[in-house]
Amino acid sequence: MTASLRSRILVTALLGVIALYFLLPVYWLVIASTKSTGSLFGSSGMWFSDMRFLTNMANVFTYDGGVYLRWAANSVVYAFVGATASTLLSAAAGYALAKFAFRGRETVFNLVLGGVLVPATALALPLYLMFAKLGLANTYWAVLLPSLVNPFGVYLLRIYTAAAVPDDVLEAGRIDGASEARIFFSVVLRMVTPGLVTVFLFQFVGIWNNYFLPLVMLSDPKLYPITLGLTSWQSFADRQPELYQLTIGGAFVSVVPLMIVTAVLQRFWRAGLTEGSVKG
Amino acid sequence: MRRSSNLRRLLVAMLAVASFAAAGCGGGDPGAQSTDRKPGEKITMTFWSWVPGVDKAVDLWNSKNPDVQVKLEKIPSGSNGGYAKIHSALKANQAPDLAQIEYQAIPEFLLEDGLVDLKPLGADQHRGDFVDWQWEQGVFGDGVYAIPQASGPMAMFYRADLFEKWGIAPPKTWDEYEQAARTIRQKDPNAYIATFPPGNSAWFTSLAAQAGAHWFGVSGDTWQVNMDDPKTIQVAQYWDRMRADGLIKTDPDFQNGWYSDLQSGRIATWVSAQWGDAILSGNAPDTAGKWRVAPMPQWTAGGTASANWGGSSTAVLKGARYPKEAMQFALWLNTDPQSIDLLIAGGYGWPAAKGAFQGSALDKPYDFFGGQKINDVFATADQNIDKSWKWIPTTTAMYENLNVGFRDAAAGRGSFADSVRAAQGKTVADLQAKGLQVKEG
Amino acid sequence: MTTTATAPARAESTRPRRAAPRRRRGRLAPWGFLAPFGVLFLLLFLAPIGYAVYQSLIRIDRSGPLGLGRAREVFGGLENYSRAVSDPAFVASIGRVLLFAAVQVPLMIVLSTVLALLLDSASARWPGLFRGVYFLPYGVPGVIATILWGFLYVPGVSPIVDGLTAMGLPVDLLGGGSVLWSIANIVTWAFAGYNMLVIIAQLKAIPGELLEAATVDGAGPLRTVWHVKLPLVRPALVLTTVFTIIGTLQLFAEPLVLKPLSTAISFTYTPNLSAFNEAFNNNNYGLAAAESVLLALGAFVLSFGFLRLTGRRRR
Repeated sequence: MTASLRSRILVTALLGVIALYFLLPVYWLVIASTKSTGSLFGSSGMWFSDMRFLTNMANVFTYDGGVYLRWAANSVVYAFVGATASTLLSAAAGYALAKFAFRGRETVFNLVLGGVLVPATALALPLYLMFAKLGLANTYWAVLLPSLVNPFGVYLLRIYTAAAVPDDVLEAGRIDGASEARIFFSVVLRMVTPGLVTVFLFQFVGIWNNYFLPLVMLSDPKLYPITLGLTSWQSFADRQPELYQLTIGGAFVSVVPLMIVTAVLQRFWRAGLTEGSVKG
Repeated sequence: MRRSSNLRRLLVAMLAVASFAAAGCGGGDPGAQSTDRKPGEKITMTFWSWVPGVDKAVDLWNSKNPDVQVKLEKIPSGSNGGYAKIHSALKANQAPDLAQIEYQAIPEFLLEDGLVDLKPLGADQHRGDFVDWQWEQGVFGDGVYAIPQASGPMAMFYRADLFEKWGIAPPKTWDEYEQAARTIRQKDPNAYIATFPPGNSAWFTSLAAQAGAHWFGVSGDTWQVNMDDPKTIQVAQYWDRMRADGLIKTDPDFQNGWYSDLQSGRIATWVSAQWGDAILSGNAPDTAGKWRVAPMPQWTAGGTASANWGGSSTAVLKGARYPKEAMQFALWLNTDPQSIDLLIAGGYGWPAAKGAFQGSALDKPYDFFGGQKINDVFATADQNIDKSWKWIPTTTAMYENLNVGFRDAAAGRGSFADSVRAAQGKTVADLQAKGLQVKEG
Repeated sequence: MTTTATAPARAESTRPRRAAPRRRRGRLAPWGFLAPFGVLFLLLFLAPIGYAVYQSLIRIDRSGPLGLGRAREVFGGLENYSRAVSDPAFVASIGRVLLFAAVQVPLMIVLSTVLALLLDSASARWPGLFRGVYFLPYGVPGVIATILWGFLYVPGVSPIVDGLTAMGLPVDLLGGGSVLWSIANIVTWAFAGYNMLVIIAQLKAIPGELLEAATVDGAGPLRTVWHVKLPLVRPALVLTTVFTIIGTLQLFAEPLVLKPLSTAISFTYTPNLSAFNEAFNNNNYGLAAAESVLLALGAFVLSFGFLRLTGRRRR
């Protein structure tokens, strides 16, 4: 069915205006990251004034002994390790819930679903107190361990596994004498890969963007992820005005690559979600 | 059934590990024993602070003391998250050896058992090195819990060039200040004499102190709270009047908007502490040469009352492994003339060390203030501060109680005076909720 | 294993007997797979909830001169809870996030749905490009988005505010009446694209035959949307609504980052901020725990209730 030219122009124009809204802060960020502190507050935010982009970038990476790079590395570690491990754990749990009938299965599933509904921020404070007693507060574990628990991932992978893995494949494996673990790793995981990627990406972005948990758990700046590091720069900025420009530059470095990655990978999201929603 | 028994064993093993971990096998070290440093032993102590310039002083110490090194870590200023960090660290047994604690925060750290008593380490011998009221801020009961660093005697920063342009003389009383505010509004509809920052009740507290209020005290084992006394209400109503007549702004201070106003002349005065000079010169550099300092406006003509805003100490935190060395560093930091000069250059405030003013870096004309020797004004102000002001262990919450009310008033709901009255009740409740004995009045 | 190479996604098995082989595996296999997640869930999810409840029932008793001596934790019953609910500021914060949710959740869902439908319609050119642009903000952490929008809200720095002021429309985006909606704007900006993607996924799963049948029946694009597409994306709508509800009730990072810029935001602006403040600034862990528990219960009840409501109507 083809739409009339007029409706195409109208709709596309509307989409274009909406796109301007979504791009506005990004545009501002790109412009602002080229300015010096003086022109940041002096000149119009909508266009360039003095071009100091390279200097700003250099400052971001060298300030305070290159602590920004440390923060970036921390974010990568937290997000990558956390997402990988939690995806694996969620896959195993989802597999158990999807493909085995055992007593208490629905109870467990409802418990997990309940976990999805509990706000994570309600957990952060008691987790902090628990970790403080165990001496784990202000360590990498303090952020990694809670990231391993992903009830939503279990929910998604249960649905996905139930649909994507036929029982007879599993039967065949067992008849052949393979152990449960072998079946899981060699057969099941391969069949649910799109679901795994979806859950991994969700969790990666979620951990990357997380603020409350690291804020509560960490006080040593060397352990900060980028979110915490940039807000800490910003909080010092009223006494040290050069930090405004550093915060903006740091935001630019952290935001632009990740946005490109999400935009490119959004098709994976879509693929994984489509599969999940068809079966769900 | 071999497969299932394998799994069973795996399961049991996992549960065992989990419960072992949960039982807290690791754990922080709650009773990190403080020890004496053996001669020649190299140690490193951590120090958390936010004062600009303190890094240079720390570097100086490190160059002079190769065996007792201090590692400085910058944290946000106390009320902006610095104290929260220190409290968290204390709770997790990961506190630094030393930290910057403003005077008003000392009782709250005492309440959480966070400070080391320095009296057994011989702190009292150094009492004479410091201005007494500042020493007293760290004294509770029989112990000494902090080494004073600096205070913030107050005066009025004003744009002399604009005042001249508008034909206003620097106001000597609060009545004259109000008059000046009106004149300014007439002469320039975009300019205001000042802002009343609704989120900075510490500033208001100092103004109340200047008027003669005594909010807090102790009587035996009971804390006393008297925030809504007539003098405080008088101050609150004064600013209510100015707000109602549109004579002042109610924007936050220490923010871009405020700095921009200072720079452009939309705000013409700032009643503030001595350490405000660095704030002005750092954030409104284009106004160099245009500001001057005059004594604080007075409630009674001819008076000389001033107040203190801010002021902090260096404290040794519980869990410090070498409290004696920590105390020695704290003493050096706050009394050594070279250290003091470095701190002054950073704009840390008015030194707590006796006799530090003469001949120090403070005792000179300031280019930013058109060559005025501004610290003569502050030195006089320092002599006229009510030294008997005390703090309570819930100062943070008290400030927030005031802030909440002030914010509502700035938005048109209620008045500053009502906020003070409401804060009185809430502050009493805060102290009672902590399990302390409180009395009003 | 030969069977894996030829395994299509078949949901049904054609083998007649399935019960017998299962007994051979042993009934502990599923627990083995569940255990790693389960143990962590227990330790890092259920245990903190339990600890929070325990902490919320504790009171501190002090002794010694001026109460600065020994402190003991004693059972305080529901003291912290009564303190929380009798604090007008905390109750106001709950009201505030409920109001926020009541406005922001429908707004977000409607916007995401409209965007999804527009991009799915035949009238849209370059849908992939626009999809990418709308999804972009999801990659920006909430705090950074707030820092950016913060700059766009402050007069003197923001081109928007200055532009409007120059045109004679002075606008205060950080003042008492408007800052809540400025925050809503940030949240919408950040998540509309994400929610849109969830709905698009569901839209793409609608069988083509249904849409063709609608056209054959003479339905125009709008009627197709109303009668065919919307009912079929219901699961996605329910999912995104539940998550948006939970997210908006937990509002924390945006007000915290905007706090220094706005005189209207105090530490009791949202329940989460209040709990955070009580724990980390005031060291009132018991009160903070009570506030967290209340918040968690509220979020749970609301989202569960919503799920129940939509579930029941479907039947």
